[in-house]
Amino acid sequence: MVKAELIKNSPLRILEKSTHGGVGKGNIGIIAARKGVGKTACLVHIATDQLFQGKHVIHVSFSSNTSHIITWYEDIFQEIARRRDLSDAMQVHDEIIKNRVIMNFNQEGISIRQIIKSLEAMIHQGAFAADCIIFDGYSFSKGNPQDFKDLKEFAEGSKLELWFSASLSDDETDFDADGVPGVISLFMEQIAILILLNSHEGNIKLELKKDHDLTPIQNMHLTLDPKILLISRG
Amino acid sequence: MSMSNPNMRNIGISAHIDSGKTTLTERILYYCKKIHAMHEVRGKDGVGATMDSMDLERERGITIASAATNVEWKNHSINIIDTPGHVDFTIEVERALRVLDGAILVLCAVGGVQSQSITVDRQLKRYNVPRIAFINKCDRVGADPERVKKQLCEKLGHNAVLMQLPIGLEDKLKGVIDLVEMKALYFDGADADTVSCQEIPEELKHEVHKRHEELIDAASLFSDELAESYLEGNVTSEQIIKAVRSGTLQCKLTPVFLGSAYKNVGVQPLIDAVINFLPSPYDIENTALDLDKQEAAVTLKAESSLPPVALAFKLEDGQYGQLTYIRIYQGEIKKGLELYNSRAQKKFRVGRLVRMHADNMEDIEHAPSGDIVALFGIDCASGDTFTDSSLNYAFVSMFVPEPVISLAVKPVDKKSEDNMAKAINRFIKEDPTFRSFVDPESNQTIIKGMGELHLDVYLERMKREYKVELETGMPQVAYRETVSRHVEFNYTHKKQTGGAGQFARIAGIIEPYADGDYLFVDQIKGGVIPNEYIPSCDKGFKKAMEKGTLLGFPVVGVKVTVNDGSYHAVDSSDMAFQTAAIMALREVYNKAQPQILEPIMKVVVESPNEYQGNVYASINQRRGIIVSTNEDAQFSEIEAEVPLSEMFGYSTVLRSISQGKAEFTMEFLRYGKVPQSISENLIKEYQDKKK
Repeated sequence: MVKAELIKNSPLRILEKSTHGGVGKGNIGIIAARKGVGKTACLVHIATDQLFQGKHVIHVSFSSNTSHIITWYEDIFQEIARRRDLSDAMQVHDEIIKNRVIMNFNQEGISIRQIIKSLEAMIHQGAFAADCIIFDGYSFSKGNPQDFKDLKEFAEGSKLELWFSASLSDDETDFDADGVPGVISLFMEQIAILILLNSHEGNIKLELKKDHDLTPIQNMHLTLDPKILLISRG
Repeated sequence: MSMSNPNMRNIGISAHIDSGKTTLTERILYYCKKIHAMHEVRGKDGVGATMDSMDLERERGITIASAATNVEWKNHSINIIDTPGHVDFTIEVERALRVLDGAILVLCAVGGVQSQSITVDRQLKRYNVPRIAFINKCDRVGADPERVKKQLCEKLGHNAVLMQLPIGLEDKLKGVIDLVEMKALYFDGADADTVSCQEIPEELKHEVHKRHEELIDAASLFSDELAESYLEGNVTSEQIIKAVRSGTLQCKLTPVFLGSAYKNVGVQPLIDAVINFLPSPYDIENTALDLDKQEAAVTLKAESSLPPVALAFKLEDGQYGQLTYIRIYQGEIKKGLELYNSRAQKKFRVGRLVRMHADNMEDIEHAPSGDIVALFGIDCASGDTFTDSSLNYAFVSMFVPEPVISLAVKPVDKKSEDNMAKAINRFIKEDPTFRSFVDPESNQTIIKGMGELHLDVYLERMKREYKVELETGMPQVAYRETVSRHVEFNYTHKKQTGGAGQFARIAGIIEPYADGDYLFVDQIKGGVIPNEYIPSCDKGFKKAMEKGTLLGFPVVGVKVTVNDGSYHAVDSSDMAFQTAAIMALREVYNKAQPQILEPIMKVVVESPNEYQGNVYASINQRRGIIVSTNEDAQFSEIEAEVPLSEMFGYSTVLRSISQGKAEFTMEFLRYGKVPQSISENLIKEYQDKKK
């Protein structure tokens, strides 16, 4: 399969269709789930799909080292390339890898302002024309809604698509009438898309909980395959 | 001085540049009563530290060459191998690491674990060298040993445990608390010669107690005896030391000490720690290769009764000729003994045998197993193995990277030319990553090495030590060429005009090969090329690939399959088939869409956060790709891949865009394709030069 076909047939096109064009520039999307359900896998798959389309991605993380993040990307790429029998896989890999930067912040309690400053330095001085930024590991329980106002402004100003993961505690029961977990509810004003990963009888379903300001919300018929950790139809 | 093995230590002091390694080394030498005055690295008295033997190092305040120095401490003999701190001299570090049994990893209490600490630590890890850590500069503003210990765990993956706590920090640093003996140590006297052991200050007692428990917790994993005693409530210091030693020797625990070498705080306890926690040659297993048994690995034992096996790991030009530092891995070496150099396959007799101290050398009659000593007047190269003639051993050939940069040098007069030849001969013996050859086309001498700074150091040494006056060209990058297309060839070489003729025809496929430099596949059927001429074809292709036609650099990544051909009963020969192969490759080379490859370096920049934008820009301007960044409260560590050709002069640029506060390390990563537009320029330049 050549790259163009692979992009066309990606299950992420379904996600885009269900959400009326995807997150879109200047907007923020969230994937929320309990620990260990597959938030990082989803984000990396979304990022890899963007990279396949020739877009530039910055992956922001908050851990002690970056090597395991690179491993995530390698694994997801290999899996897609293998399953779709991608032609010239190595060449495609080398091309897209240039369009990805991992920015890790290992300082406890670093402010969103500081992160935005570093991202701006990368985009402007580093001449890295980012299209999409992935934030994996931001703590919503310690975060502050003002952060998201700043982020939204930054996303609009720089024409960026922002994706976050949000970790729900194991005993999270506090969902509102729309199915939005309590820990995120304070931030919803700035959020365009919210997807919940729900583990049900060995399947992980992607449930759309907010689709811009549109209703009714569609069923995406997407799952996260727990064996290969890719978003799939189903 | 014939000490038994358990009382010997061979240690290295490894560190990030500027973390105070040289000062620490000198303090250790001082307290071991070997030298009588202390000097700072850039001392006001201009004397400089003892281990820095070269002027150049003195001037730059860094240590380039490794020298072994012997000291005595509490009835133990310690050989200190001074490993270079700069990454450009990696080969010297690696060679020094081979002979170490243990190391002190020096870290700065302010700067913490920086990129170079990571490189140095990785090297120690690769050779399985047990290490203890010393957090130096606790007297400086911003000192935070706790943070550095945390970084040791997080950034370097050590299981680090504090053995001491500071009494005060920054300008209030007064001493350290020994968490094993549970005593406060103060360093008194003019040069802090006496260590006074006192009760722990009241206000620290709670914290000390907590840390003592932590230490026992970490140590008891390595000793059931300690774990039991702990439950019974009667832990002894000896049990803790034994357990920590066991963890350290397995490289599973890193005891952390602290102090300030400059202020003479914590040095003596650190020397005690070397004895308590680092291995003796007896604790370490080393292997060599038996050249008589297809290089099968053999275990060496540090026992004096066995036949001697020693490694020459460092050469130095002394007043009385070549000084060869050796590490004795097995057996003992006596004056007058006949030894065998397994590389040169030559025998020689041990003339003068000396032990090197910081300020003098001592003639000795014999050196025991495990020791590090020096021989005089031996002709050999670094890395040679000496045995008695009963054994034919060699040490594993250490990984030697290919040079990535070259420079044309031209002596200004005859005298300089002679001296330059001497100097280059010496450097080649000392450092396998330094190479030299005479370019047959330009008749110029070319030197090759691992980076700009690497070659700079040798140019300076030529100037200072050998009084060579030189003109140098621009540094040249070691490019490679490769093919990107599958092509078929069919070439007939024919010369049959009177006399002995030449005839050979070969046909087959040339294609890209990702797994190596070159692969030759013989698919000849039915003897259309006789067996005896197949190696001639292989040889011909190899020859043709020594020089590509784009830039004249070696061609790599090529698979050649020969599947057809013909010969002539009289006129075919080895030469004819070689020529046919060379011509076959030349004929189809352009059809195979040759490409230029350039060395891509892994560059790691450490910069205060405020300059990160400048650093990003500087990498971007150099065709670099930023792979990742790692940011904490003060520093950003930026990892990038940058073509070597763009890195010339980067140290100056980086200094100027960061007010001297950022630094970088660089190592060869891989060869990568040169972009089209740059390729075209390179090819044009090469063609113009050829005309």
